[in-house]
Amino acid sequence: MKQFFLASILAGAIALPAFAADYKIIAPANPGGGWDQTARTLQTVMQSEGISGNVQVVNVPGAGGTIGLAQFASQDKGNPNALIVGGYVMVGAILTNKSPVTLKDVTPIARLTGEYEAIVVPASSPFQTFGDLVEALKKDPGAVSWAGGSAGGTDHITVGLIAKEAGVDPKKINYIAYSGGGEALAAILGAQVSAGISGYGEFESQVKAGTLRLLAVSSEERIEGVDAPTIKESGLDVVVENWRMVAAAPGLTDEQKAAVSADVEKLVKSAAWQEQLKTKGWQDTYLSGAAFDEQLAKDVSATEGILKEIGLVE
Amino acid sequence: MNTFEFLLQGLLIAAQPMNLLYALIGVTLGTAVGVLPGIGPALTVALLLPVTYQLDPAGSLIMFAGIYYGGMYGGSTTSILLNTPGESASIVTALEGNKMARAGRGGPALATAAIGSFVAGLIATLGLAFIAPYIVKMALIFGPREYFALMVLAFVTVSSAFGDSTLRGLTSLFVGLALAMIGIDQLSGQARLSFGIPDLLDGIEVTTLAVAMFAIGESLYIAAQGDRGPDKIEAVRGSVWMSATDWARSWKPWLRGTAIGFPIGAMPAGGAEIGTFLSYAAEKRLTKHPEEFGNGAIEGVAGPEAANNASAAGTLVPLLTLGLPTTATAAIMLAGFQQYGLQPGPLLFATNPQLVWGLIASLLIANLMLLVLNLPLIGLWVKLLSIPKPWLYAGIMLFATLGTIGANPSVFELGMLLAFGLLGYAMRVFGYPIAPVVVGLILGPLAEQQLRRALSISQGDLTTLVASPVALVLLLIAAAALIVPLILRARGRGQVLSQLAASED
Amino acid sequence: MTNGTKPADVKRRPDWAALVIAAVLAVIAGVMFWDVSRLSGAAGYSQVGPTTVPYAIAVCLLGLAVWTVFEAWRGDFPEREHQQLGPVFWIVAGLAAQMLLLKVAGFSIATGLLFAFTAAGFGQRKLWKTIPFGIVFAFAVWVVFSKLLQLSLPAGPLEHLFF
Repeated sequence: MKQFFLASILAGAIALPAFAADYKIIAPANPGGGWDQTARTLQTVMQSEGISGNVQVVNVPGAGGTIGLAQFASQDKGNPNALIVGGYVMVGAILTNKSPVTLKDVTPIARLTGEYEAIVVPASSPFQTFGDLVEALKKDPGAVSWAGGSAGGTDHITVGLIAKEAGVDPKKINYIAYSGGGEALAAILGAQVSAGISGYGEFESQVKAGTLRLLAVSSEERIEGVDAPTIKESGLDVVVENWRMVAAAPGLTDEQKAAVSADVEKLVKSAAWQEQLKTKGWQDTYLSGAAFDEQLAKDVSATEGILKEIGLVE
Repeated sequence: MNTFEFLLQGLLIAAQPMNLLYALIGVTLGTAVGVLPGIGPALTVALLLPVTYQLDPAGSLIMFAGIYYGGMYGGSTTSILLNTPGESASIVTALEGNKMARAGRGGPALATAAIGSFVAGLIATLGLAFIAPYIVKMALIFGPREYFALMVLAFVTVSSAFGDSTLRGLTSLFVGLALAMIGIDQLSGQARLSFGIPDLLDGIEVTTLAVAMFAIGESLYIAAQGDRGPDKIEAVRGSVWMSATDWARSWKPWLRGTAIGFPIGAMPAGGAEIGTFLSYAAEKRLTKHPEEFGNGAIEGVAGPEAANNASAAGTLVPLLTLGLPTTATAAIMLAGFQQYGLQPGPLLFATNPQLVWGLIASLLIANLMLLVLNLPLIGLWVKLLSIPKPWLYAGIMLFATLGTIGANPSVFELGMLLAFGLLGYAMRVFGYPIAPVVVGLILGPLAEQQLRRALSISQGDLTTLVASPVALVLLLIAAAALIVPLILRARGRGQVLSQLAASED
Repeated sequence: MTNGTKPADVKRRPDWAALVIAAVLAVIAGVMFWDVSRLSGAAGYSQVGPTTVPYAIAVCLLGLAVWTVFEAWRGDFPEREHQQLGPVFWIVAGLAAQMLLLKVAGFSIATGLLFAFTAAGFGQRKLWKTIPFGIVFAFAVWVVFSKLLQLSLPAGPLEHLFF
């Protein structure tokens, strides 16, 4: 019996390289969340498009994705078949959690999807335009309470940037952090807070039903089919996109990196991926290569600056 | 078409033989996975959701409903039989249910849980169908200060799960509260009590703590009794069925549990476990058999199980009417609905009535299937107890760790499982109750966050906490629940209390 | 469980184990004070900041420690039944083995050991039988959950042999 097991262990060790062509995707979050869904959608499409025969998704949740990132950077170093899903939230989490591993320690491949921030007020609110809200903020920052996601997340950062651009000390904003989108939305609908901020998708159905008033979105230009001005139009230079990306392991050769990039490009261009984006309501904001690296660097420095000003990072 | 016609049409579709079969498969799968400690309804639904994608929309919706109900009911089975609740909502069920199982009354305990779940599911689903818009309006009145008041009330009533010593009950509760402080403070983003360990930044997972303290702690404790404990628990003493007395003692708790669970489930920050705590406390106050509480009172199973199921249906109220996913399970369901082209939100009932009523009909059918499947199975479940101990507990340990590994395969998480398992064991040895630790871990952060949110919104004005009528009433009830028994006990007039309680119903 | 109030056996003898519990509670409170004191108390607009609640809990834990000492002194703790520690060690060893081997040996082997050790803790000491049985059982569970239900359970040499 013992020999059988020894033999099987040995055989297993030998058999291992035979599976090396298959991708492994780390979802640095719990099953069910946004990153997990992205990873599992990648898995489905990669398999159905024949990009990879067998894709495994591994959940490594915790601390805004930084635990998964750290594990990925150390354990999968040089592995050309390992990918990790991540996003803008990671940029902030790396800073607030003082994570020793940053996005510089992995090989970002491409931005896949993204969502813009939306600022809403309950239908009964006295604020008719974004300008009204900013005026109130300037007059008494404490009197304007904002409901959004966790402290130091995309929503918080956006409010900080708005305050800074409006000439208000970002430390003075009265930001009320909620854990899930649902709880924050309930607080906004119940007019417990002055305004709410989150990804547009969270508010879409309420805005269409007229129970929330959409004041502004954080995109560069107006979004098609969304009846609201950008924050930029009101004179505040704030553009924030909550994107999701896929990155490869550190220590890859240029050829290996190119091979992964080609696989990801093939995936993004496939009809199956476009179909998935449509059913899930995700925007296609594919960006790769040097353009993505440049945008990433810009986001990291802007985020670091504003987190310091809000007082979340020393 | 009016409401009734839509519902009737939905029921007709759901009652087609093929769809009934899907419902049965869903309930079976859901129960089979949900029965494992550490795998609650959220993970069950997440795991099994892809199975439903192969079917047509009506079929997949109905199978989905079956999985949901099955996953929820599965948790209570192991709580009752093995004292190993795998998720927070069935902790209270274990308190009395396991005592019943040990006395050979596992059959009636499982039956009252199943029938109570059915009754509560039925009433709450009808509530969802007909009064959802009103319930949701009420739920939106609840802001941070109202939630804070509700948490205070929950804290006060939790004392009924303390067991026989106030000191040890309070100690357990505060150990739970201290554990709750670990991790990033949500409102300020600062790490508390994490000692620079990244794995602690997200705090302690409730399921990890529950599985460790109950499943592992219990296994260790039983093992340490060595040969002294009975080798096999007598699985059935008396009838495996509920007796007439059991029925008479169960129906009121079912209804009260439903009445407590449904509105709390509908509140965006409620959560199923709070309903079960309140229901248990209510039953303990109202019972005519107070001496049985702690030794296996059937009311203590019937009420919380009904509350649990009613609040699960309640969760669908904000989900369907507002698109608000208020629990982990609801968030996964939302992802599921989107696959069926159902976009929850305020316009859903108007724009997509077929699907909504189809879902509600599916829930009703799945609920019925659960009863059909589980009542005959009770005899079989009870037999679980006659598996020889070495194999039974080896299996429990395997599945208890499976849930944790599946959610987060990290060595650190398993280390916590071991450490809290030992803590659970030590607490059993010294006579400390286990439930308050988990209760503290759940309620602590909720209460703290809501208090700080309320004060932040009012810019530091303390009077805001009592400025709303709802919050004031809840706080007054909490104060009364705390003070009245103390006064009565101080005067040695406990009799009066039980008479008062008896005359109330 | 009998309450330790029978005058014959308890002559106000302090209960040392209970005193240890009191000490542990006090230590937890101390750790909380120490850790929280390093946080910035910045509370924004609420006077209850991130440090207030931890401080309150720590103070209560200290109070409970004192109360525990008091009860321990009076011998108010219930009498404890004799515990056999052998079985407990078996199970703890099983959990530790699973924890340490999970990443290296994969789910089936690590969990198979836990299974066998737990069975040993409950008196089934024939490890040459229980270990293979546990591994096969755990492997079946791995196949169901990992392959059918897509749960990410760590794979090791045994799993790679088949998949």
